[in-house]
Amino acid sequence: MTVAPLSEVAETAVLAAPVERVWAVVDDTRRYGEWVVGVLEVTEHHGPATVGRSYSEHNRTVGPLTTRSTWTVREIEPVRLRVDTGTGFAPMHDMTNTFTFRPVTVDGAAATEMTYRVTYRPGWGAVGRLIDRVQQPGLRTAFQASMRNLETIAISEAELPE
Amino acid sequence: MPAAQRADVVVVGAGLAGLTAARALAAAGLDVAVVEARDRVGGRTVNHDLGDGQVVEAGGQFVGPTQNRVLALATALGIATYPTHDRGARVYVHNGRARRFTGDVMPDPAALPGLALTILRVDRLSRQVPLDAPWRARHARRWDAVPFASWIRHAGAGRGALDLVDVFLASGFGAPATEASLLYALWYIAGMGDERTPGTITRGIATTGGAQEARFVGGSQSLSTTMAQALGDRVTLGAPVRAIEQDASTVTVRSEGRTWIARHAIVALPPALAARIAWTPLLPPQQDALFQRMAFGTLMKCEAVYDEPFWRDDDLSGQGVFRSGSPLCSTFDNTPTSGHPGVLMGFLGGQQWRTWSGRSARERRGAVLRSFAQVAGRRALHPRGYFEQDWTSEEWTRGGPTSAIGPGVLTTLGEWRDRPFGRVRWAGAEHANHWNGYMDGAVRSGEAAARAVLDQED
Repeated sequence: MTVAPLSEVAETAVLAAPVERVWAVVDDTRRYGEWVVGVLEVTEHHGPATVGRSYSEHNRTVGPLTTRSTWTVREIEPVRLRVDTGTGFAPMHDMTNTFTFRPVTVDGAAATEMTYRVTYRPGWGAVGRLIDRVQQPGLRTAFQASMRNLETIAISEAELPE
Repeated sequence: MPAAQRADVVVVGAGLAGLTAARALAAAGLDVAVVEARDRVGGRTVNHDLGDGQVVEAGGQFVGPTQNRVLALATALGIATYPTHDRGARVYVHNGRARRFTGDVMPDPAALPGLALTILRVDRLSRQVPLDAPWRARHARRWDAVPFASWIRHAGAGRGALDLVDVFLASGFGAPATEASLLYALWYIAGMGDERTPGTITRGIATTGGAQEARFVGGSQSLSTTMAQALGDRVTLGAPVRAIEQDASTVTVRSEGRTWIARHAIVALPPALAARIAWTPLLPPQQDALFQRMAFGTLMKCEAVYDEPFWRDDDLSGQGVFRSGSPLCSTFDNTPTSGHPGVLMGFLGGQQWRTWSGRSARERRGAVLRSFAQVAGRRALHPRGYFEQDWTSEEWTRGGPTSAIGPGVLTTLGEWRDRPFGRVRWAGAEHANHWNGYMDGAVRSGEAAARAVLDQED
């Protein structure tokens, strides 16, 4: 039996907020519904992400179709890296979600370069590969929109001037 | 222990109702004492200091046509009004989409027919409700047995209409339509007028031409501070009333370490708080039961301060209506009459309060600012200041803006609302037939209570 090769979709954006503020939102497993496009609701969570622990979501897939997914936190490097693996997205398997962050400066202000990367193995042979090809542009758009949502949240929760 | 202070009338509560009553009694030559739990006057009206002599309202603030008694009081006190900022487009937010609109017709074609039908039917039915005795309406029992929300649903108005009624009630009752009886809702709307003009929903929800038309120069609390100033040392602050006793000739009001003895008392408190006083003899059980069922809704006001009202340059009014996706139900441009600083205000009430009051202050503020950004642009994410006034955490109010009375109460206990208890009369915004729960209702109730005492004195 042949194993399908891994597919990867990755998008990078610069968020106009300090990496600590961005991380504070990303670190909270309760809050994915607020910024990740396609997450209708976080149905179970454990608050601040903890390696080895899981959280569950209700996700939009295609059109009116939805799915229930479960993610497990695999790796955390505070304010730099977060890796989770997920199930519930058939025919996509071996789903790994990786967020990486790098502090940057934009116009003299602290900002964050973020990369949103997902790898997975399409199932269902040729049909799965076709679905994968069709869904990739939508995923890229969704990742960019998610990062813009995250930026807006981080800005809106910034410290206020004294 | 200081000696008991004697007066003709002791007024409990220095909000608009209590001070209005005290002012009328003092003008009639009676010796009046006002006892207030807080260290300020004004009750549910309170000014927030913006610095540089500017204030913005953190409590009740709007006034409009047919609210004749509070407008007359303001005129008598020399306090002017100015129009609420109502120029430019409004924004309607639903399903994550923010759309500009002008006029009163929201861009939600799916919800509008049901909403229009609901408004027409509510206005028509509310005219069948006698304001002074809603329990005598022909269909009172039937209407009082049904939650307002169930009636809307069964009328086939649709989800959108119910959502938008809840938007209105989140700031009107601080509670959703599931929690008020149809009879109570009809009666409340019937009171949104005056002795010559029947109440309508439209007058309740409109800005220009409606209940949000104008604001008081210097903030609404200035009505109370001006009255209190004139009453001088007849007003005692920081004296929560714990007990009221009465016999055939006197009523004794006890705070912590202080006592007032008078021929009459006017209790001008939120009904649920009046029921917590230790009464001797006990309040009639029907009155006690009613007052306990008149607990306030849940409401906070959220306000962000900017250097300027920048949204006006973009032809935006700062007014937003949120059918979904926000902690807020509606927003207003709350900039002081001087035009600066710019202030956006949002109501966070009813069901949304229950969701968002438990979130961290930072997350809640962020969500509110994102809502402001939807109605005013992304600059709204960067205020120079932000504050919230959560009326549920005010010990001497415990909620806001008013009561939402549930099914089965008005027809069985409603007649006890204003019934004098011995030498005690009642005042407060919940003791008014017109503009119940509003500043105008508070003034009307204070005037009525004072009149009743003066009639008894004659």
